[in-house]
Amino acid sequence: MGIRFNEVSHKYSSFSDGNLSAIYQVSLKIKAKDEFIALVGHTGSGKTTLAKHMNALIFPTEGNVEIFNKIITKKRNRDIKYNEIRKKVGLVFQFPEYQLFEETVLKDIMFGPLNFHISKEEARNLAINALKLVGLDESYSNRNPYNLSGGEKKRVSIAGILAMDPDILVLDEPTSGLDPAGKRVLMELFKDIHKRTNKTIIIITHDMDLVYEYFSRAVVMNEGELVYDGSPESLFKEHDLSKNHLDYPNTIKVLTHLNKTLKLNLNVYQKTAIDALKEIEKAGIL
Amino acid sequence: MNGIIIGQFIPGDGFFYKVDPRSKIAGIFFLMIAVFLLKDIYQVLGALLLTFGLLIIGKISFIKVLKGLKPIFILLIFTFVFQILINRQGNILVDTNLNISLINIGLVIILFVIWRFLAKFKKFNFLLFLGFLFGSIFIFIYSSFSFDYNLTSFNLQIYEKGIEMSIFVVIRLLIIITLSTILTLTTKPTDLTQGLESLLSPLKKIGFNSEDFALIISISLRYIPTIFDEANKIMQAQASRGADFSEGKLKEKLKQVISLLIPMFIIAFMRSEELADAMESRNFVPGKARTRIHELNYSYRDVLVTAFTVVFFAVALLFRLNVLGY
Amino acid sequence: MSYIEVKGLDYSYTKNKKVLKNIDFSINKGDWVAVLGHNGSGKSTLAKAMVGLIEPSIGSIKIDGLELNQDTVYDIRRKIGIVFQNPDNQFVGVTVKDDIAFGMENLAVPREEMLKRIDFFAKKVQMEKYLDKEPSQLSGGQKQRVAIAGILAMQTDIIIFDEATSMLDPFSREDLMKYIKKLHEEGLTIIMITHDINEALLADKMLILKSGEVFAYDDSHSLMKDKDVFRNSYLELPVALEIANSLTEKKYDSVKEKLWEYVSMK
Repeated sequence: MGIRFNEVSHKYSSFSDGNLSAIYQVSLKIKAKDEFIALVGHTGSGKTTLAKHMNALIFPTEGNVEIFNKIITKKRNRDIKYNEIRKKVGLVFQFPEYQLFEETVLKDIMFGPLNFHISKEEARNLAINALKLVGLDESYSNRNPYNLSGGEKKRVSIAGILAMDPDILVLDEPTSGLDPAGKRVLMELFKDIHKRTNKTIIIITHDMDLVYEYFSRAVVMNEGELVYDGSPESLFKEHDLSKNHLDYPNTIKVLTHLNKTLKLNLNVYQKTAIDALKEIEKAGIL
Repeated sequence: MNGIIIGQFIPGDGFFYKVDPRSKIAGIFFLMIAVFLLKDIYQVLGALLLTFGLLIIGKISFIKVLKGLKPIFILLIFTFVFQILINRQGNILVDTNLNISLINIGLVIILFVIWRFLAKFKKFNFLLFLGFLFGSIFIFIYSSFSFDYNLTSFNLQIYEKGIEMSIFVVIRLLIIITLSTILTLTTKPTDLTQGLESLLSPLKKIGFNSEDFALIISISLRYIPTIFDEANKIMQAQASRGADFSEGKLKEKLKQVISLLIPMFIIAFMRSEELADAMESRNFVPGKARTRIHELNYSYRDVLVTAFTVVFFAVALLFRLNVLGY
Repeated sequence: MSYIEVKGLDYSYTKNKKVLKNIDFSINKGDWVAVLGHNGSGKSTLAKAMVGLIEPSIGSIKIDGLELNQDTVYDIRRKIGIVFQNPDNQFVGVTVKDDIAFGMENLAVPREEMLKRIDFFAKKVQMEKYLDKEPSQLSGGQKQRVAIAGILAMQTDIIIFDEATSMLDPFSREDLMKYIKKLHEEGLTIIMITHDINEALLADKMLILKSGEVFAYDDSHSLMKDKDVFRNSYLELPVALEIANSLTEKKYDSVKEKLWEYVSMK
């Protein structure tokens, strides 16, 4: 078992944690391998709070989180090396600016591995591999991370986490602020990393089109509670999303509109525009 | 970071909340000077009573003022002890030998360990501290064993005037803290800056632009919560990369601190650039005349505050000049 | 003569790399123009040039007959306001009220008048209950609404939205779009910089930038009928139109009609 939430609640007491939202009684299991999970919810639903429990950045105020057999509770436990947990579960923050600080891309990516006391040589190799994994070639090694484009910075920040070779990778809204093409490229990249390494990848997103097209499992948060955990297909088929302040994927909305206005009988559950097009052509409308 | 107000301001509606910040700042400034003009313990005692009177009028709780004293508690103790030891006037009250010997030091160390051990009972922190202080003095004065090896000993003499002066100094400090607490507790930071701006505006003649100064302060105040928030996120982002701020060698620690500072600086730079753009696009030109949405208005309360200050100051001055006396 | 005229605009941050190349376009009063383009296409640079925050290397910008230069920049900024991307980095005031007042204070508007306008424009963006709140107590969407009120209070009649919704969640985004739509109906000229086609749909015209050049500029409807324009500029059409544009046979005309109807419903 990778990560297991046992009735975890977290309430923010003081000012130090920003305007984050509480979570209540969340139970959740995440495997150490082979999962590709979308974590969705509106602003204030608690999804970021949930994610920060996954690498013990914050502790539950009630319940416990089991991360690779280490049990995280309210109290700091001296026997647990929290650093080791963060090596196993990598969390990439939304803005690359929060973590980039070295003068070259390669040095920045090496920061993570070096924190775990491995040799420079080895850290360098890990960093070069991570750089390749995020689709940047070696010519980026000596560039200044602050002179890169938004998309490239994002990749470098992801490489910075990948270089620690975590088993589970958690990404907080990695596609926000990117143009449509950049979004797709990044999603394909995650899929590719997932395929090549079998790492469990958890992605926080608002974009229901992406959830439908790319993911095999969706975890939905609403007002601090976990309200759905299952396949995106059945999420969109069987659940009323408006209750959770969420929207349906565009393909479903468009095809539903056609069914309603033209009295058609199309199967609305198509993941992409091409699928939707095929469905319309199959129906052979007169 | 919900609803944090930087500074000590606590919303309320007592008398001092409605006083114009300018009269409050000026008033407290002159009252503090007046307190330093006072010469003896009876005068400062009178002033202390008056200050407590101000608290009652302003419906400000003593507890909040006491909380304001917390950070300077050590300073108060130090001043008190220092004054007692240094002043050698008047009748002698205490005259005793302090023996510093091996056993005495050992006993004090044991006492210290007990004190630190009990320190987790935070509620009795102060009592425990006093216990340690007086316990140590007791040990130094009275414990003497014939087989002990005396390192050194010195004569502790406490004079009447010493006690008087130490009380005098401590009361004076108390008054000053209380006065400044009244100001910060009842004045919004924005009003405080605007009051300062207005009071400092005559300095324009010597090239000090109080308006820019006030704008800088108010923008800093506005961004403190944001920056806190950001620092927290950066710390978590680097912790996610294995930066452990509690462990590691000095060299590693240095690197980790750098990993926090650089993103903070760079984000602050980007922010200030964007902010400058936003301000400029809304037609801000440094030094150009602006109107203000906040208006400071004098009322009868300001007259009262000013009158009180003037009378207090005048009386203090007369005491000083020995015009008034007893 | 058009209300806004941009002619032959060039801009480069460094010597050899041009961010804007020979930009030419004009906008009529009351138009709503969406400026679309991939990351790094020069959208935001164009916006900054239009409010005189950066000076183009060549070319001219005329607004309401006034050519933008050192002397006219302050007069031009009375006509044109800009809402930036990051809600946090444009909130100057300590409270909502202070922030709405900031622009007016700079224009030396009398206090009585300021108070009136604050009330009026705070209501317009439904922030009247939050006047004494501090930015840390507001959501991103609310902060952007305050920014709008601050600009409206300066009585500008052109507003540029520079990716103003990109840091908001979908619901605040939709909400903000409603306000923008209302402003347009009231006659304001709106220039909206975005890479989200679903937001650009509402605009009368679309200006598509690609690598610093104007790739296309036309009314939205005719642009969206051409699927290649979007693909070639690294953008995406809304799903409904992507389907509509692929349905070429005549028998699908009714479906296409409904798909267009769906898009215009937004």
